[in-house]
Amino acid sequence: MAQALATTLVVASLYALLGAGYVLVYRASRVLNLAQGDLLTLGGYFLFATAATFPGAPALALPLAAALSALTGVLVYVALMRPMAGHPVFAAVLVTVTLGILLRAAIVFVFTDRTRHPLQNLGLSNPPRPLAGGAVVSTFDLVMVGAAVALFAALFVFLKVSPLGIRMRAAGERALLASQRGINFHGVFALSWALAAFAGGLAGMIYSSNVRLEPSLGILGLRAFAVALVGGLDSLGGVVPAALLVAAVEVASVRWGNPLLSDVSPFLCLLVMLLIRPWGFFGTREELERV
Amino acid sequence: MRGGILSAAAAALTLAAALAATAQTPEPYRIGMTVAITGPFSAGYAPTYEAYRTYFKRVNDAGGISGHPVVITYEDDRGEPQRAAAAAKKLTDGALLLINASISPTYKPVMAEAEATKTPLLFGGGVCPREAFPPAAPLIFCTTSFGSKWDSRMALSFIKEQSGGKKVKVGFAAQDIPLSRIELEFAEQHAKELGMDTIPVVVVPGAASDFTPFAQNLKDAGADWVFSWAPWGVEIGVFEALNRIGWKGHYILYGHQPAQDELMRLKAPNLHALTGNAMFIESLPIHAEITKLVQGQTNHPAHYMAEGWTSAMVLEAGLRKCGWPCTREKLAQALSSVSVDTRGLRGGPIEMTADNHYRKATYYKVYRWDAGKNAIVSVGGWSKLDIK
Amino acid sequence: MSALGGGYFKTSYEADLALVDTRLRRLALTALVLVLLALPRFASGFVLDLVSQAAFAAIGALALNVLTGLAGQISLGHAGFLAAGAFTTAALVERGIVSPLVTLPATALVGGVLGLVVGIPSLRLKGLYLALGTLAMHHVVLYAAGEMQARAGGNTGFTIPAPRLGGLVFRGTVAWYYALVALAALVLVLVVNLQRSRAGRAWMAIRDRDVAAASVGIDVARYKLSAFVWSSVITALAGALFAYHRGFVSVEAFGFFVAVDYIAMIIIGGLGSALGAVLGAAFVTLLPYAIDALVAGVSPDAAQYYVFPAKFGAFGLLMALFLVFEPLGLVGIWRRVRNWVFLWPFRHRPLRASS
Repeated sequence: MAQALATTLVVASLYALLGAGYVLVYRASRVLNLAQGDLLTLGGYFLFATAATFPGAPALALPLAAALSALTGVLVYVALMRPMAGHPVFAAVLVTVTLGILLRAAIVFVFTDRTRHPLQNLGLSNPPRPLAGGAVVSTFDLVMVGAAVALFAALFVFLKVSPLGIRMRAAGERALLASQRGINFHGVFALSWALAAFAGGLAGMIYSSNVRLEPSLGILGLRAFAVALVGGLDSLGGVVPAALLVAAVEVASVRWGNPLLSDVSPFLCLLVMLLIRPWGFFGTREELERV
Repeated sequence: MRGGILSAAAAALTLAAALAATAQTPEPYRIGMTVAITGPFSAGYAPTYEAYRTYFKRVNDAGGISGHPVVITYEDDRGEPQRAAAAAKKLTDGALLLINASISPTYKPVMAEAEATKTPLLFGGGVCPREAFPPAAPLIFCTTSFGSKWDSRMALSFIKEQSGGKKVKVGFAAQDIPLSRIELEFAEQHAKELGMDTIPVVVVPGAASDFTPFAQNLKDAGADWVFSWAPWGVEIGVFEALNRIGWKGHYILYGHQPAQDELMRLKAPNLHALTGNAMFIESLPIHAEITKLVQGQTNHPAHYMAEGWTSAMVLEAGLRKCGWPCTREKLAQALSSVSVDTRGLRGGPIEMTADNHYRKATYYKVYRWDAGKNAIVSVGGWSKLDIK
Repeated sequence: MSALGGGYFKTSYEADLALVDTRLRRLALTALVLVLLALPRFASGFVLDLVSQAAFAAIGALALNVLTGLAGQISLGHAGFLAAGAFTTAALVERGIVSPLVTLPATALVGGVLGLVVGIPSLRLKGLYLALGTLAMHHVVLYAAGEMQARAGGNTGFTIPAPRLGGLVFRGTVAWYYALVALAALVLVLVVNLQRSRAGRAWMAIRDRDVAAASVGIDVARYKLSAFVWSSVITALAGALFAYHRGFVSVEAFGFFVAVDYIAMIIIGGLGSALGAVLGAAFVTLLPYAIDALVAGVSPDAAQYYVFPAKFGAFGLLMALFLVFEPLGLVGIWRRVRNWVFLWPFRHRPLRASS
């Protein structure tokens, strides 16, 4: 039981990091970034590349990979999302799909399809750590949980307290009004995308050190968008309980239910949520049709 | 006058050059290969593509077979049945033989195409279909080192041997693809017949984000040994998860191409890799030869090439036996009686008969990491299984 | 109407309603039909297979166009409908029912029911939420199909024998070429007529402003559901065709990328236009082969590793370029070119209803 709880926390942290990315992008561009999973993969490959370039120097490789991820977010905003302003939402979502395709093609072009393990080059190890209650997790499992907690705490402080964060919230709510007040919303949106890519990249770096790195990891992003929706597409606070719920359902279905259902359980959660409360736990009520 | 002589001379020269050119390029042996060079499953099959390319480049550079070069056309099917079907249609046009080095969902459409055009079909990278086992279908051949039922029999007899007379509980880790599930259900049955305690097969989705809950199921059920027969990702993922949660049992999996690197990376004494190809750490002469040849030519390291190299050897032997001119029927007949010395890559020769297009006997070795020697060692020598 | 300034006045209702109204169009259509009929005589099996693939893709793209282009309901679950059709056929074949006269209507029925089920959330959801709901449905359908495939035991998929209709057996490239092209033409006529019918107008009204449509008296719920049902029935039938054509059904052939492919077809072709769906289908089907030929021409020895990402990347890049710069798609380009040709030396069409 303790082990199941521990595993749930770890999986939930992964989903929470990805979910944060979805929410940040949604608040900025009102679009679901279906390439978030590929941004996770990209982060992992950045780490592999920096670790290979600076072997045995994790203090250099890790921040560099994180910075590269954030930079990618900015580039994506400037090159793809800004020109899509004014286009219908459908088209913008599809642009993110094409972004995913391009990212994946670039990764395969540079690194080929082989499975990689960045940890070897970093010179770090991933020993198991026993916890209370008989549960055992790996070091990077703990790092994943820690990173999620740290990121959410930092985002909370940033958005609630810092001037830049308040501007970001304003621009996300009403871009027109914000710009009339002098907020450079292009800069702010670019920052949102940078943060989203950073969150995804961070998750990717930890996951690839913990499990494996291969180009098809983008599929994790598909499961995490269920988390974003269940929590509320524009609510960062909603991501945490949603991640815990989806992870719990997944782990429970393996341990006590039908293991094969675990693959599709995030989507079942998504469907249930869509039927009873489409705007999620804490999302803003959007206009919805009544039959 | 002079213009006339000049133009006549030019014409004569051109004609001579053309004749010389055609005389210098003899008709090639045309082979087609549909292979998963890219795509999510490529890690197991792209090395076959690279091995064939390098192998037959050497053959052609040395003058070809009976003076004729071997020209192989490669089609990337990305592991998708639709693409494989289209590739097969395209390739059988004028090809003596078709090779399939891709995942099992591509088999049926490619086999149908081969059947329709009466082209011999050689499986060089993916698990062998039962049409290659006796009684063999006339056009289907398979050189791949792993095959259903034989691998499980070998793995279970290894477990029984290692358990030294004690009663052990065996768990099974499958991926949620039919081949893996069916094979491990057979293994569970066979284990019962051998007198071992069994745990129902644990099926793992290939895209699971965390293998820990599945490992937990195996640990809680009290497995002393776990056998996994699936694509590499699930095989190793379940093992790493089991290790992470402090499981103290023994694990045996089929050693696909990444096995050697992973044994070295993980340094886990309880991980056993069952494989039909000798690992390159044995540094046989053939290993050094392959390593030298593929230097700089391939994206995958040399020790991934064993599977494809052996397959290419069998094809070369078949083509040599066929001679020139070779037709599809002659090639199928030649392959049905081929005997290839694998020079240590496998535990013994690959010998096919009219009824058995897999091999008369198959050989296995088990490798594990020895902490004392700080190296990969083999547990015992080659074990032989007669294919009947 | 037409790009030309004037001179094409109709003198009877039949002439006005005709699908092909001008003499030039009739001529062009006849020429196209003749070329298509005669193609097997002088084209290789590979080219015929390509055209068959494009025709098959056109059927799916037209169905998606009905749902997303005409009715404005964003659906990411197209691959799920295809899979449902293919696996229904497979399930029936497993039980010994092989004749298309039985399997096709059964597939249509299953497709319709699934469309209804998937369409019900559309009554409450719009935009992103609907897209996500359909994506979730796609995963559920694939999961069910995967389970069915695993239960069948021993197979890594289902083999479907060649279909027999009366005495005709559909086997081989040429037979399937004719069958697929004919069926694509049939679906095209069907979709174009749907577009011009009451349902089509209702769908377009819902797509543009559903609140206004409701206030004019259009039963939004009924038409939304009918859009889903029409689309899913045609797509499920396309899935059955896929099963018969390839002779093999396995769940790996219906991943999310297939849905992306179809969406790319209607976007690149031009959202809302039947011609666009066909053009887009042809473009997306032929693009990988074009890149193959390009790469082979430029550097024949290029390792295949670089060809695939190049193809994949080019596909993504083209889709992104169309989305950003040419929202009207290939149809938009076609219309611009056609107008330029017909109107020259004039620059603009006369002020009248757009075609």
